Amino acid sequence: MQKVNAGPSSAAPAQSLTARQRKTRRMWRHLRENHPFLVMVFPAVLIVFLFNYLPIYGVLIAFQDFMPGDQIIGPNTIWIGFYNFTRFFTDVQFWPLMKNTFLLCIIGFVIGFPLPIIISLMLNAMKSRRAAKVLQTIFNGPHFISLVVLVGMLNLFFGRYGLVNNIAASLGAERVSYSLEASAFRPMYILSSNWQDFGWSAIIYIAALSNVDPGQHEAAILDGATRFQRVIHVDLPAIMPMVSVMLIMSIGGLMGVGYEKALLMQSDGNLGVSELIATYVYKQGLTGVPNQGYATAIGLFNSIINVVLLIIANTTSKKFSENSLW
Amino acid sequence: MSSKATSKNTLIKLGTGDKVFYAINTIFLGLMALIVIYPLYFIIIASISDPDAVLAGDVVLYPVKITMDGFKKILERSDIWKGYLNTIIYTALTVVLSLIVTIPAGWALSRKTLPGKKFWMIYFIIPMFFGGGLIPFYNVMSSLGLINSMWAIVLPSILSVWNLFMTKTFFESSIPDGLIEAAKIDGAGEYRVFTALVLPLSKAILAVMALYYAIGQWNSYFNAMIFLQDEARYPLQLVLKEILIASENTTGGSGETILQQYRMANQIKYVSVIVSSVPVLMLYPFVQKYFSQGVMIGSLKG
Amino acid sequence: MASLTLKDITKVYPNTEAKKKKKKKKDAPEDPHKEKVNLQITDEGVVAVQKFNLEIADREFIVLVGPSGCGKSTTLRMVAGLEEISSGELYIGDRLVNEVAPKDRDIAMVFQSYALYPHMTVYENMAFSLKLRKLPKEEIDKKVREAAEILDITQYLDRKPKALSGGQRQRVAIGRAIVRQPQVLLMDEPLSNLDAKLRNQMRAEIIKLRQKIDTTFIYVTHDQTEAMTLGDRIVIMRDGFIQQIGTPQEVFNHPYNLFVAGFIGMPQMNFFPNCKLLLENGKYSVEVLGKKIPLCEAQQKALTAKGQKPCSVTMGIRPVHMTIDQGDFTGVIDVSEMMGSELHLHLSVGGTDIVAIVPTVGLDVAAHSIGKTVRFTFRPDLMHLFDTESELNLL
Repeated sequence: MQKVNAGPSSAAPAQSLTARQRKTRRMWRHLRENHPFLVMVFPAVLIVFLFNYLPIYGVLIAFQDFMPGDQIIGPNTIWIGFYNFTRFFTDVQFWPLMKNTFLLCIIGFVIGFPLPIIISLMLNAMKSRRAAKVLQTIFNGPHFISLVVLVGMLNLFFGRYGLVNNIAASLGAERVSYSLEASAFRPMYILSSNWQDFGWSAIIYIAALSNVDPGQHEAAILDGATRFQRVIHVDLPAIMPMVSVMLIMSIGGLMGVGYEKALLMQSDGNLGVSELIATYVYKQGLTGVPNQGYATAIGLFNSIINVVLLIIANTTSKKFSENSLW
Repeated sequence: MSSKATSKNTLIKLGTGDKVFYAINTIFLGLMALIVIYPLYFIIIASISDPDAVLAGDVVLYPVKITMDGFKKILERSDIWKGYLNTIIYTALTVVLSLIVTIPAGWALSRKTLPGKKFWMIYFIIPMFFGGGLIPFYNVMSSLGLINSMWAIVLPSILSVWNLFMTKTFFESSIPDGLIEAAKIDGAGEYRVFTALVLPLSKAILAVMALYYAIGQWNSYFNAMIFLQDEARYPLQLVLKEILIASENTTGGSGETILQQYRMANQIKYVSVIVSSVPVLMLYPFVQKYFSQGVMIGSLKG
Repeated sequence: MASLTLKDITKVYPNTEAKKKKKKKKDAPEDPHKEKVNLQITDEGVVAVQKFNLEIADREFIVLVGPSGCGKSTTLRMVAGLEEISSGELYIGDRLVNEVAPKDRDIAMVFQSYALYPHMTVYENMAFSLKLRKLPKEEIDKKVREAAEILDITQYLDRKPKALSGGQRQRVAIGRAIVRQPQVLLMDEPLSNLDAKLRNQMRAEIIKLRQKIDTTFIYVTHDQTEAMTLGDRIVIMRDGFIQQIGTPQEVFNHPYNLFVAGFIGMPQMNFFPNCKLLLENGKYSVEVLGKKIPLCEAQQKALTAKGQKPCSVTMGIRPVHMTIDQGDFTGVIDVSEMMGSELHLHLSVGGTDIVAIVPTVGLDVAAHSIGKTVRFTFRPDLMHLFDTESELNLL
């Protein structure tokens, strides 16, 4: 055995430092060695700062009597507290906007949330892998169509002399301009959204399903389970964690989706149901006589509802299962 | 997909219950496929059919009186081609800049030794769930002097926080620590590790990100609508909006004039839908592997 | 080609704030010796390596061995510079390298996962470090080809790692390390991803490699056979502490404590707990299974010199030092494993399971089938005695 004693002659500088000095030294060394990472992350930090954080600072104008061109905080700033909010709550548009936004989002969610799950389970349960792959490719396709084109297609198909009316007319029905029809707005909006995205939203579940251990299926087969029973007892439980995460996310985004599309679909005829909080913000703040403080207040109100929904969804999910975002 | 289990399954004689299940399953999915494909198919046959036949409802399953007039007419539409060119420029710029911003940042965020990692994570997560909203965003762009500039279209699009986190997850799951350690012992510094090792090994995520950003920019219209006043700078989608939508949603005019309008514009609409979507849809089958890979990468962490 | 000195090297993984608070609620253990389980968890965090002291001579082959989680890999990674040293000093040659970056330590490392760059050919993999050092092209080429020659991988130089077998990748990984002629070559369980046959083969290759290149080796493994066959000296670790440092011979013949005795040697040493060390008329003897065995001369001397008092001990004896069909002890055969030239008999002796290795030459194998009772004995001079309390070897 070898005796271990003091190291070579040179004095040990590390030893003579206090614990605190050593800690700061270590910190500096860490920073020096890893500063390239800071350089790499910097452009992203800058972009997010400019286009995400500066606007957050900009919400202050919701509490001001703000005219375009004013400084956000300057000598002439007129603070008006929650006036813009109370004004919105007493706006004749308030309840229709709330109703339109909520109804569109909730109906959209009720149909749009389960559909991808069902599709993914069905695709996964197909006998032919090849057919499933082909189908998946087809289902994903519409995701890449732009909103403008999608709404354009809706107009083409559901216009007065479009395909749908042609078929209806040949069956003896009256021609209807669906894009001007208030009652057609929600169905058209929701069905077209699902048409466009059900396949794409299914990918995430298909990925989760592909990770299911084949042994579980084999064990279930030996236990005498039919394919349907295997879907219920093997496949479905396997994607449940993903389902809860997606559920939380979509509830958090419930009030924020799709205004760009709604804006495209709006017509004089359907404005009563197609005007949403977000489209109203756009119109108040950026068109006609701009009313930016007011529009910002409405937008802020909308964001806050979203955050609250997200927190509620996450806490609930945490309580009843192990799945949560944080 | 659990291919082993299912392929084994096919060798065994199916029970009636399973037969019914597979039948219903196939029929339902087949129907869905029809619903997805038919509108797209109809656009194509309508674009090459005689506009009168389309209006009369004669075109349902196949083109009638095939004509290329629509495509000839669209060649004369300089606004579309100008928009096309603009969109290509905006998209190319967006892709290049977004990769320069997203990939290194994703790599840095995936490293445990990034100084202040926790802070940066929170910094990037907050904008995922909370933002200033449309008007403050517009005002920021305005005070940056970007109104009516093409940079108003490009700059806000070069970083999506979702894509950033997807990139981060990719690096965490697909570049083993040992490799980085080996490179460090071999004498590489952090920059060298990134350029000589990380970049060559992340072609998949580079492709996915490039495509995500490209498609996003190609298809967007909203920022262009609010920030661009000069029609010469309009991207394709904004031109399309004029063609496809603006004329549509107005009431008034007798039935006759509406019909007339239809005759004139209809074919152009079908054709412009095709012309504008072709690049993306052509690309799609080749890159769908990467696209789904991207979603899966993102899904690893939820 | 350098000596290494590790002085009081300690690695502590700091607790997170939350853990610290939890920890504070509990009382700190007063006597670290009694609370074995908590030895690694202190107020400061989890101690992975504790006061590691070792001097490694130039060109020595040192093996760090121990069960998983014993701190051997952490120690190696601290030498490599991949982990920060919490306290203590590390010298390579005369240079204190605690704060020197890995690339400036003049070391090379072979990873368990090989960590070959998948997008580079074998040649590029090996040339990478030389290129970073900005060596001229011809010199890089010369060195790579030399190293490839040594490892017999010249024909694979143009391939990518994906196109190689496990054994070939292993060679490339070693090649990449030796091509730079580092002062110290670190190997972190390099053979554990290979199958048994290839592992034996590569083990022999490493022994040969040592003759060909002049460098100091530090080799980490959990496999005691590798440790015994490769090391000039072996460092046996457990729970962050060095248990024993010594040549293979030393640690086999004179294990410092019960743990080392059990860890080194295959099959494991047999232990008889609850034996008694007796001292009568100045003579020591040990009571095993109720029978008194006098100790031999050398053992007597060792104990007398220490002034050892009678106490409770665990007696250990290696399976090869057992003899059957004679002696005073009896056991029932539980399992009989025929290994060809020898028979491994698992015996149950009064609640203790032991193994005896018996040469098959001239043995009536049928008479030693399962369920039979056999007599056995062992050579008293090869007994090991471990204090029950401290688990230290008394001899």
